[in-house]
Amino acid sequence: MNLALRDVRRHLGRFLGTAGGLGLLLTVVVAMQGIYAGMVDDATILARAMRADLWIVQRDTRGPFAEGSRLDPSVEARAAALPGVRRARPYTYQTIQRDHHGQIMRIALVGLGWPDDAGASLPLVRGRPLQQGHGELIVDASLGLALGMSLTLAGEPYRVVGLTRNALTSGGDSVAFVSVADAQLIALDQPAEATVLERQRVVERLRGTDLGRGQPALEDLATDPRWRAPAVASPPVAAVLVEVAPHQLAAVRAIVGSWGDVTVYTQAEQEALLLGGVVQRARMQIGLFTVILTLTAAVIVMMVIYNLTLEKTHDLAVLKLMGAPRRRLLGLVLQQAWLLGALGYAVAYTVGQVAFPAFPRRVLITDTIAVLAPLATMIIVTLASVLGLTHVQRIDPSRALEG
Amino acid sequence: MDPAVRSIDLRKTYGVGSAAVTALDGVSFALAPGTVAALLGPSGSGKSTLIKALGFVSPADAGEVYFAGRLVVKDGAALADLASLRRRHLGFVFQKANLTSFLTARENVEIACEFGGKPDGRRRARALLEYLDVAGRERAYPEMLSGGEQQRVAIARALANEPSLILADEPTAALDSVRSRTVMELFRKVAHERGAAVLVVTHDHRALDVFDHLYEMEDGRLRPYHPAAATAAAPPPA
Repeated sequence: MNLALRDVRRHLGRFLGTAGGLGLLLTVVVAMQGIYAGMVDDATILARAMRADLWIVQRDTRGPFAEGSRLDPSVEARAAALPGVRRARPYTYQTIQRDHHGQIMRIALVGLGWPDDAGASLPLVRGRPLQQGHGELIVDASLGLALGMSLTLAGEPYRVVGLTRNALTSGGDSVAFVSVADAQLIALDQPAEATVLERQRVVERLRGTDLGRGQPALEDLATDPRWRAPAVASPPVAAVLVEVAPHQLAAVRAIVGSWGDVTVYTQAEQEALLLGGVVQRARMQIGLFTVILTLTAAVIVMMVIYNLTLEKTHDLAVLKLMGAPRRRLLGLVLQQAWLLGALGYAVAYTVGQVAFPAFPRRVLITDTIAVLAPLATMIIVTLASVLGLTHVQRIDPSRALEG
Repeated sequence: MDPAVRSIDLRKTYGVGSAAVTALDGVSFALAPGTVAALLGPSGSGKSTLIKALGFVSPADAGEVYFAGRLVVKDGAALADLASLRRRHLGFVFQKANLTSFLTARENVEIACEFGGKPDGRRRARALLEYLDVAGRERAYPEMLSGGEQQRVAIARALANEPSLILADEPTAALDSVRSRTVMELFRKVAHERGAAVLVVTHDHRALDVFDHLYEMEDGRLRPYHPAAATAAAPPPA
């Protein structure tokens, strides 16, 4: 006869209630671990999706994700010309906030080096990569835009042609991908008045130079809206992504590293920068919070199991007096602890399945969490039953004779 | 035939120094199989201490306890597996029925069969409940049973392992006189029909005729009890 199950049957409502409460607590613990894993994954997914061997960024910066990086566009051609380089493409990254049908959208806008990079390596779940260098964008599904919808950016409509899943920044912003040229258009978008004023400043600067004074026609050129003023520099890019032929990584890196205007990182270093810099504090905070929650759960489980055992003291004393083998009584406590843990985890799993997709931050239940969480739960409830087991050991069977 | 249980010169003291209380003061006692004995005496006279010592629950400080002719406790030291002895050969009935609260009436008896290593526990439990006239309540939990029904189930549980010694500590204290007598008669029936030795601690003098032997304890000493002598010694009614 299984005493643990008999006791549960007798106090079924209370036991299920306790398991439910424990389950909700475990849900929070698993959610914290999932958020932690999601944050780590989010932090690196952008870098990983680019599938570059080397990231060339502005000298002495940790760009483009950790801080701003402004790189002369000529770096792309310089890198592409190096022996051992298979492909070099520009990359831009900026965060914008736009109003769309009354809702504020925060978007991390990534510029892809069209036509070399049309976004084929992105985690597309619907739609297609970019097929033209202007007017198309790929967005993360979390933005809530459907395929074929239009988003107005810098006064021009951009049609959604592809949807990704879980392309988020470490800050939780959804990512949208356009060509680098479009990204720069959007970044440099300014009102007409600002353009007029800028042209006026160019004219003023020309008048202050011998060239301007000697060539008055340059002023007309600077103020003519059909012409681009020669004094305005080409817009910078945030990084240049380089793909290298096999076994050439070290050589190419050494050459690029010797350039005075850039810093170069490998893919692994870029990911480490993201984890170590951008999300380090958040990781530690969530990690510590997870540890505290896990300990709290363990203590609560311990007290629940101890109280369940304490309530049965007299019954256990009687059973001891009857000569019940010790393993039967210890088994009663342990089996109830395991049952409580299993039920609690089942509740946590079910609640998680329903609730986690609705969380504002991604809750990523990795394979490790999926295996370790139930295992850890069973270990915790086993350890938590120590107090109860000790109590069983200490029960004096003569208490049964005391009425 | 060896007595079911025999004690020689049992001594037990609680506390030390001036606060010391002698609970057992050289108690020698034997109970033959198939007999039922009553143990009388005022509160604090040592009855429960003797029951605990004879039931291998709390050994005496000094003295010997033999079970079925075998020395099992000597001067407080166990010479055998006492839990196993209790499981296989002893039955207990308490002042309160002390049934396991989360088991039904039948399961309370069945679990004792299991502990006692008796096969086919469910069938045996049903038979015992029928024997004690509570078969109709086998699915009821203890809290659903009346006091008398609980005690019957408790006696059935005590019989589950076919014990050679049943120790009952004030089993009728919570019952009215009619039910008390019924329970005492059950003990006699068990002793005479099943050959068990039964020792019942009681304050109830109304059913003493049921017992084969009467003992009383006072200040830790055990002596035979004679109802007539006790009545004669009692002060005349006012």
